[in-house]
Amino acid sequence: MSCQLASDSILYANGIYRVVYEIVGVVLPCWVAYAIAGLVFAFILVNAVLLGAAAITWGERRLLGRFQNRVGPNRWGPFGLFQPIADLVKLLTKEDLRPDGSDRVVFSLVPVLMVAPLILMTAVLPFAKNTALASLNVGVLYILAVSSITSVAIFMAGWSSNNRYAMFGAARAVAVLISYEIPVVLSLLGVVMVAASMSLGTIVEAQALPFFLVQPLAFFVFMAGMSAELNRSPFDVAEAESEIIAGYHTEYSGVRFALIQAAEFGGVGVVAAITATLFLGGWSGPWSEYLGWLWFLIKTGIIVFLFIWFRATYPRLRIDQIMAFSWKFLLPLAMVNLIAVTLEVFLLRGDDGVLTVTDLAIMGVVNLAVTVIAIAVFGNLIKERVSFRTRQPQNVVVPGVSTIEVI
Amino acid sequence: MPLVQDLVFWILSVVAIGAALGVVLVKDLFRSALLLAVVFISVAGFFVLLSAEFLAVVQVLIYVGAISVLFIFGIMLTRNVREGNLPNRLQIPAVLCASLLLVGMIAAAINTDWRPIPNAASQLVDSAQTQSVAGAPAGALGSGYEAPETGLAELLIGDFVLPFEAVSLLLLAALIGGLALARSRGS
Amino acid sequence: MYGLAMIKGLMVTLKNLTRKPFTIQYPEERAKQHPRFRGEEFVWYEERCTGCASCAKYCPLGIIKIETSPSGTMIPEGGKYRLEVFDIELQRCMFCGLCVEACPYDALFMGSGFEQGQYSRKNMVITIDQLRNAEKHPSTWYRPQLEGYEGEADSFRRRPTISQGDSRFSYDPRGGPPLGWREVGRESWRWHQHEKAGMRFEQDNEGTDTRGEGPDPSVRKDDEAA
Repeated sequence: MSCQLASDSILYANGIYRVVYEIVGVVLPCWVAYAIAGLVFAFILVNAVLLGAAAITWGERRLLGRFQNRVGPNRWGPFGLFQPIADLVKLLTKEDLRPDGSDRVVFSLVPVLMVAPLILMTAVLPFAKNTALASLNVGVLYILAVSSITSVAIFMAGWSSNNRYAMFGAARAVAVLISYEIPVVLSLLGVVMVAASMSLGTIVEAQALPFFLVQPLAFFVFMAGMSAELNRSPFDVAEAESEIIAGYHTEYSGVRFALIQAAEFGGVGVVAAITATLFLGGWSGPWSEYLGWLWFLIKTGIIVFLFIWFRATYPRLRIDQIMAFSWKFLLPLAMVNLIAVTLEVFLLRGDDGVLTVTDLAIMGVVNLAVTVIAIAVFGNLIKERVSFRTRQPQNVVVPGVSTIEVI
Repeated sequence: MPLVQDLVFWILSVVAIGAALGVVLVKDLFRSALLLAVVFISVAGFFVLLSAEFLAVVQVLIYVGAISVLFIFGIMLTRNVREGNLPNRLQIPAVLCASLLLVGMIAAAINTDWRPIPNAASQLVDSAQTQSVAGAPAGALGSGYEAPETGLAELLIGDFVLPFEAVSLLLLAALIGGLALARSRGS
Repeated sequence: MYGLAMIKGLMVTLKNLTRKPFTIQYPEERAKQHPRFRGEEFVWYEERCTGCASCAKYCPLGIIKIETSPSGTMIPEGGKYRLEVFDIELQRCMFCGLCVEACPYDALFMGSGFEQGQYSRKNMVITIDQLRNAEKHPSTWYRPQLEGYEGEADSFRRRPTISQGDSRFSYDPRGGPPLGWREVGRESWRWHQHEKAGMRFEQDNEGTDTRGEGPDPSVRKDDEAA
């Protein structure tokens, strides 16, 4: 059978892939080399997601501590660097419970189904120039599709726990997830329109000016929407520790809980990587093209810091506030952004279909004005109006109790 | 077809048919909904095999991400779910109608002349078959290549704009109906 | 919540990031207690103790156990017993400090430590050897004479300076006579009357109110006559 890795294939340009392919290809037939090279890259990605989840737990605990005027964990290892290992060991040594009336297969399958979409999402991310495991030309849509599997997984978690609090938590979490998918998709449409492609590599190359400057409204809607999709504060009703016990992962303990936490914090990392690719310019950076991975990591770190900063600052929203925020605030904003970007792209795109840096800068300035106006307008429109007026109710006499009516 | 694609096709077929059988035969309603999601994902795999990546991704996004969730919400809101299907008188007529429908669909599928999308992308899509596992992005095959989505988009806005707008009206009607049902009395 | 308020909130948190955290790293540092802290331990100066067992009598929980035998010392003062058993059950103690208040000879003080936790109940009873040999860090609760004072004696305007040992009284917890109420400046309960608000009381020539208080119980009759 013919060797499939020709020198003009996109995977050939992927440095790691090529190196492994050529090393293995010396000894083994080329289709085996092909498979092994792919597996090595996939192995690196899986490990990156899981280790990134551990690193983000450490970073989050330390940063949250500093935001709250205290030191985070600093006992295990210098600066508490071994704290994730301590957590992992603790979780591994816990008893592996399974609730009584629960559905065995589904219950055990849920942690896997929560981690798998994240790992699948990293397959399309370009870490450096031409370095992505699968450079699909529907990359953005692929990411959205894979992240929607999480809703099914959360529902499975709630249902199979045979616990009504878990069910409530899961229902609320799924409602939040599907509500926030729409503003996220619409904000990404703006990005796709400016870059004229859904492939992530092309989007990075089209960012002569990073897209968070060109479309600040899309960036804001995307960050808010993704915070909700990840069930992070201020949208974390699904796992609010003080509310419905622990929501959909009440009944999980030990390794399964460790995997669910890995899914949550790994999600932060992967979504930060996606944001860095789509809005901050991915691997592009000043000095050398070979340092693309370094810039990628730095930008991902900045977005992770932003997520942790949001968590440290904002109080938790009620579930009805979360729904109102999505349908009445983010969705109109995303539509405003879409209309604005469409008009600008239509007017500014030259005949060769290229948007120059000046065009992007003009778009950025106009979009900034649009952002400020839209947020002010829609923020005012959905502000809760609370007025306290006391009046005496008619014909109601309850001895010993004074009645105050709040309107 | 090359070996890998044959293998993937057979695996996906077995999974899809097994899961589809499971949807109707499994007693627990929740598990049958999950098996339906498995069917949707394997159909997405078939789309990938046919180099229709866009359709595959859209299939996962809509069917698994939204319609399966809809089914599961419906199951959650139904009581007495774990009893499964109650016996009733309509089972024999249902079997007859379903088999008639199956025969009709197989006949229709075999006797149709499937025309490919008439644009330059189709030849390039065929040549992309040989590299299809690697996935060919927009730039690598030369400047004349248009992604299949472009053809799809041109058809939707050009030839088929009336059904497109009719579908959007249908969605609007569904939204309004949902709002009307969910509105609380007296507000 | 929308608009500017969100950014203001973010700025507040960011400012917090730049401030030094005020966590006290526990095993290496301990939080500073105030000097009148009723700690979880007891400081006993055997030189002053006469074995009167007032502390045991005053304890509301009855956790102090004292067994004495005649020792034949200090006979003109009424005798000083030799203590054989002096057990304080820390596990039941509520650290009310009544035993410290009760001691007429200033022999028992509250301690300043709070790390008396033990792994078994047997070790939760302090015996007389532990009381003798422990490091003594007396708290100045009910014994403000251990703090240094500025200002005149017996004036409500005195301010304590927290330095044990460098005191105007030269109070040595190990020996010497116990000090009286006014001498140590345990404030009269009507200290506020010298301020503007409140009722007026008759004042004696010292400026302190004499109503409601009998003769000073800690000043003995022969000193007054002298």
